[in-house]
Amino acid sequence: MPRAKIWGFLAVLLSAALFGLSIFSIFVLNYRDFTIFNAVNLNELSTMTFYAVSIPLAAVAVFVLCTGFWIGWIILTIKVVPPMPEIVEKKDNSKIKAVFLCLITASLAALIIYGVYVRSFWALAVPALVISAVVLGAVFWVGMAIITTRSTLIPNKK
Amino acid sequence: MKICLLTYRGNPYCGGQGIYTMYIARELVRLGHEVHVIQGPPYFPPMEGVHIHYVSNHNYFNNKTNYIKPHKPFATLKPLNFYEFVASKLGIFPEIETFSFRAYFKLKELLKTHKFDVIHDNQSLGYGFLLIKNFGIPFISTIHHPLSIDRTTWFEYPSDFLLKIKRVLYYPLIMQGFVARRMDHILTVSHDAKIEIAKAFGVKPEKSIFRPLPGVKKKENSLIFVGNVEDRKKGVVYLLKALTLTRNKVHLTVVDGGAPNRRYVTKWIDNFGINDRVHFTGKIPGEKLIELYSQHQIAVSPSLYEGFGFPAAEAMACELPLISSDGGALPEVVGEHMKTGYVVKSRDPYALAEAIDFFIDNPGIREKMGKAARKRILEVFTWENAAREMEEMYKGVIDAHS
Repeated sequence: MPRAKIWGFLAVLLSAALFGLSIFSIFVLNYRDFTIFNAVNLNELSTMTFYAVSIPLAAVAVFVLCTGFWIGWIILTIKVVPPMPEIVEKKDNSKIKAVFLCLITASLAALIIYGVYVRSFWALAVPALVISAVVLGAVFWVGMAIITTRSTLIPNKK
Repeated sequence: MKICLLTYRGNPYCGGQGIYTMYIARELVRLGHEVHVIQGPPYFPPMEGVHIHYVSNHNYFNNKTNYIKPHKPFATLKPLNFYEFVASKLGIFPEIETFSFRAYFKLKELLKTHKFDVIHDNQSLGYGFLLIKNFGIPFISTIHHPLSIDRTTWFEYPSDFLLKIKRVLYYPLIMQGFVARRMDHILTVSHDAKIEIAKAFGVKPEKSIFRPLPGVKKKENSLIFVGNVEDRKKGVVYLLKALTLTRNKVHLTVVDGGAPNRRYVTKWIDNFGINDRVHFTGKIPGEKLIELYSQHQIAVSPSLYEGFGFPAAEAMACELPLISSDGGALPEVVGEHMKTGYVVKSRDPYALAEAIDFFIDNPGIREKMGKAARKRILEVFTWENAAREMEEMYKGVIDAHS
């Protein structure tokens, strides 16, 4: 097997394993033995340590949610000339959905900020899981692409 | 002067950036300057006297499947490529931003052996330019038109919520606004600003590429439209609607080199029942385009907005009577209504249909207007003028910077 494919397989396996581990450690482990979850008492951490971890995570999460809010706001407020009736196929209810997008993202952002304020485990765990999912998902995707790409180059026998 | 031009796409056939950079580079060389161009793909061909430096990208945004190169399987995992890959999958158009960083690295390398007097970007305005600013070289940028116009015109067409989200994410308006405010100088092409550079697009008379070809027979009742049909600000839907409203049965040729996938326009053609009257050429070289202009009777530019409108100027240079909308700078290019072109209100298919019938019914006026159009282009718009004005502006910026 070509070396590239081996690395592709490794990327796929590693990213899948790491993501599985994240899910297991955050959800399954706590579900089976809830005391372990309760043992994660963030209040025992020093203020410095807690904020060193929580501020970057919360900042990324709030940034993403703000982007979502901004998208909804743009869809809601953009003023355009209505399209020609001939090319309209169905009723456009984007503005209603945009209101929901704004409300949901604003609520989630407020929830994360509140969660960090009260030192909730989930305010850190959920954003961390989502960020991991995006990065590991991309590595998985690239790995799959490496595995499935067929080389058209003539193999160098030497 | 030693000038470094930057363009994230060097496509010489479609899209204003490549054409603009290519001709400006050529004229600046003729004026005796040393010109370097850092360009992203698709690249324009090598030019005499111009030092071209290539910056690659994997085009993850458009290339959905074959982005893994067998000889470089791990290239996607390099930080900048990986960012571009992830951003593309999230619907963001990262090419401009990543070009700005790649241009920074390329410039850093070039500055070991070259000392540039001025760096001139062509509507990229990526965050990487903030790093380039740190080189301490006067840095200017040309903005052909604000991308907010593209976004607004895109929203004028029916689409679903998900698609709208993608379009909001697609246009890097926040980044471009942020970077533009930090440039040493901005050149724009717009009605309001009335910057001189708006006059500069077009072709130089004696060295014109776009010209009428003698002896080419014109097709009866033929129209030509040049532009990306998937770019909603080109207003092609109004032209298609107009085809259903004309008294004369006209045929339309669409040269859409910039549209890799036609998603909407084919649906609209079906809706309007004009499948037998619209013909697509796909991507064609410049010489073939000139031939096509010569084979058609009328050119149409129904854009809702144009920073300048190269296809309009090209058609006029080929002696084609032009029906143009009043979108953006198009009336400035066309000139006097009913003398050098026929200007209609944008978004008005009825006015377009009326104009088409007018030209079909009046071959004499058509011919006269075509000749007047070419005369106007040759007199008013030359790349040499553009380069001279730019040279003056470079000097001004360098003086202000030092």
